Amino acid sequence: MKITYHILLLTATLATTFACKKEEATPVVVPVQAQTVTNIAADTTTGVNPTTGQPLGTTGKYALYSLRENKVIANTDSASNKWDIGFRGTTIIVNGGPIRSGQGGAYVHTGTFEEVTTVPASATFAQDQSTSALAIPAVSGGGWYNYNSSTNIVTPIPGRVLVIKTGDGKYAKVEILSYYKNAPATPTATSRSRFYTFRYAYQPDGSMKLN
Amino acid sequence: MLAVLFLLSVHQLPAQLPDSSGAKQLDAVVVTATRTERRVGALPMPVTVIGQPQIRQSGSLRLNDILREQTGLAIVNDHGQGLQVQGFGPDYTLILVDGEPLVGRTAGTLELSRLTVGNIKQIEVVKGPSSSLYGSEALAGVVNIITENPGRTNSSLSARYGANRTSDLTGDVSLRAGKTGLYLFGNRYQSGGYNLNPETTGNTVSPFLNHTLSGRLTTAFGARLKLSVSGRFFTEQQDNLFSLTDRRVVSGEGTVRDYTINPVLTHQVSDKWKLTYRYYRTGYQTTTGLAYQDTREAYDDSYFRQTFDRAEIVTERTIRNRHFLTVGAGFIGESVEATRYPGRQRFTTRYGFSQFEWVPSQRFTIIAGGRFDAHSQYAAQLSPKLSARYEVSQTVALRGSAGVGFKAPDFRQLYLNFDNAVAGYSVFGTQEVSAGIARLQQQGQIAEILLDPSRFGDIKAESSVAVNLGAVADFQKKFDRPLRLSINLFRNDIRDLIETQVVARKTNGQNVFSYTNLSRVFTQGIELDGSYRAVLGAGQLTISSGYQFLEAKDKAVIDNIRRGQVFRRNPTTLLTERVQLADYGGLLNRSRHMANLKFFYELPKRGISASLRGVYRSRYGFADTNGNLILDEAGEYVPGYVTWHVTASKTIKAFTVQAGIDNLTGYTDPQHIPSLAGRLWYASLRWDWVRKLTNKQV
Repeated sequence: MKITYHILLLTATLATTFACKKEEATPVVVPVQAQTVTNIAADTTTGVNPTTGQPLGTTGKYALYSLRENKVIANTDSASNKWDIGFRGTTIIVNGGPIRSGQGGAYVHTGTFEEVTTVPASATFAQDQSTSALAIPAVSGGGWYNYNSSTNIVTPIPGRVLVIKTGDGKYAKVEILSYYKNAPATPTATSRSRFYTFRYAYQPDGSMKLN
Repeated sequence: MLAVLFLLSVHQLPAQLPDSSGAKQLDAVVVTATRTERRVGALPMPVTVIGQPQIRQSGSLRLNDILREQTGLAIVNDHGQGLQVQGFGPDYTLILVDGEPLVGRTAGTLELSRLTVGNIKQIEVVKGPSSSLYGSEALAGVVNIITENPGRTNSSLSARYGANRTSDLTGDVSLRAGKTGLYLFGNRYQSGGYNLNPETTGNTVSPFLNHTLSGRLTTAFGARLKLSVSGRFFTEQQDNLFSLTDRRVVSGEGTVRDYTINPVLTHQVSDKWKLTYRYYRTGYQTTTGLAYQDTREAYDDSYFRQTFDRAEIVTERTIRNRHFLTVGAGFIGESVEATRYPGRQRFTTRYGFSQFEWVPSQRFTIIAGGRFDAHSQYAAQLSPKLSARYEVSQTVALRGSAGVGFKAPDFRQLYLNFDNAVAGYSVFGTQEVSAGIARLQQQGQIAEILLDPSRFGDIKAESSVAVNLGAVADFQKKFDRPLRLSINLFRNDIRDLIETQVVARKTNGQNVFSYTNLSRVFTQGIELDGSYRAVLGAGQLTISSGYQFLEAKDKAVIDNIRRGQVFRRNPTTLLTERVQLADYGGLLNRSRHMANLKFFYELPKRGISASLRGVYRSRYGFADTNGNLILDEAGEYVPGYVTWHVTASKTIKAFTVQAGIDNLTGYTDPQHIPSLAGRLWYASLRWDWVRKLTNKQV
């Protein structure tokens, strides 16, 4: 299930207004569309081994996602620049770095999704250097999520925007909204985990403008 | 011969201290605030006294029952029922029995229901830091339980039965022969537990049985040397049964045991000079043996053993009846052994303290004191305190105090060595983290070290600077009105709060944690108290009421909100918004408003007494639900509530019958307050016997 809607930002409108006053000939800026993607299965489990506590039924494979195509890319294409971002459990990977094939990268921005209007020229994109040194740190409190060890609930940290450089070198911003199936408002111990709901905005023209 | 003995014993009764105000309960004599006997009304710091009559009239059985009804005190649940004072968690209040500390805390909480109130003569609660006299843990305050002394020869027996198959059997006997007295006390307390969630396996509170035995032997050698030896033994068994998230059922027994032995030798060298030698040993141990019910495989098989030894010498000098000097020194040896700690850990503290009280006039008192604690594991600590009281008029007195309190890192924070096999993270105490990281590194489990593990060993004690300012108005003397009002404003600034800190990342994506001094928080508020006695028919009605306003917040969170760095997710739209300062609700588990209203009625001629008590807590934070780890949204609060308690009793000769209902309206909140059982009725019978002194004997 996918929901698409437009976000017309005040900043975008203002930018247009000022631009028009200055120079009448400037083409109208088309706002980048924000999309919400739900229930991307990120190597889901069938249960937990009661003695070891290890998850059962996992494949170890990432759900690879193309932001341009707005769909999951087959794992057979993992060694290409067709995908931009991948999900497996709480680990999020990007398509760039010594262990990837694309030109991608990412950094974690603190702020709201709407406030990320452009990628600053000074921004440095980290890449996936090794399985234990990822662009988006796969650790509670250090990347995109908090893990509560008493309730075993994974919560996306509000105000964390993943600014992404795609596999083919374009820019996008992603905000993870939920880690549980159907994005319940308050996940419980019985909620099914490893189902990503996120929203994103992708700039197809290769510019650093993200609104 | 016997007659002579009894005659002597009458004269040996502890001298009744002059009761100048005539309002008995209102101006009791306490020892906790200054370590010397002082009238509550004459002290420069806020002190609450709960006497035995109030405990009995309230139908209380355990310490938590009576403390929850006092102004500014809240009973909070975290691995047991603990005490919150001035917005501090249970680990910041020292619990003493006859001036000696109780040990055995689980995650910082000392389970208050371990203590029966049957042998309590008086409970003294001092608010504000008292580390200047008592050292570690006396940061928020001190609760001192004064137990019965062998007075004249008497005895009592009481039995009570109530809802949830709860029974209590208490007996004591006090014997006196000449200068020697013996007091013995026994209590058996049993409950069938209760279940607030019938749809799940097991009980909310599992059935348990506990026994308390205590006693004291007092004797005197000559007129100036007195010896008192007290002891206590407590044991509890609980039958646990509960289901895990994967529906497997776990059952087994848990035991708790503690003991104390406390000889005290008092040497009254002269009228103006007293020496006290005290030795105290206590031990606390728990065992848990839980197994899966289907396979009988072990689920949790653990133990915890702690000992605490203390030797102390205190000297008190009075100079020209205006200067009172108290100087003391002592040595503490502690040890702990537990499933999750490597080997047997020991640490020691050497300390010295001194307090100088100056009474330049009847209307003015000033007390200055301080204590120095040198510890074997963490930095030495100096805790000064200054307090003063001034009588503006016969009615109004002002009081103020400023002081420093501290809390030492606990065993867990120093020595824990724990790998969570299920979730994959590890936690090490500050003294274990270097070795723990080295071991994990050798096993190839460490992906990245984020902080130098060797610097964790320099952990400091948590400390707070506190100010208490207040006024007391007693309308008895001047206006002959049995009305007493008091107000206290408090502010505590706490720094170096110890919290978990990520030290390294593991290759499995989980963290290695240790403990470090991180947060700065403050608590501040106002406490109001009032009581009034009215004549109602042939009897007397005492009305008392109290209120506390409290704010307790994390300074770093406030700074981050100001900088616009704190966000929250709207639970329905899942969109992110910025948290405003007004949304921040402060630390979890703190009610902004707490209040109580109590009526005690007595009709002595007919032996009738009754009480009605209401306790209110406004909403308080339970947990973060919107992902920003702070309290900022209505759904993260436990709703506020009121509980009402009622008792009535009638005394006929040596027998007293009492009946009562706790939680009259049956308010429950199983999800958030499992310790609040529904409506509980009970009935008890008490028999008191006092050896009468006949004319012949006198």
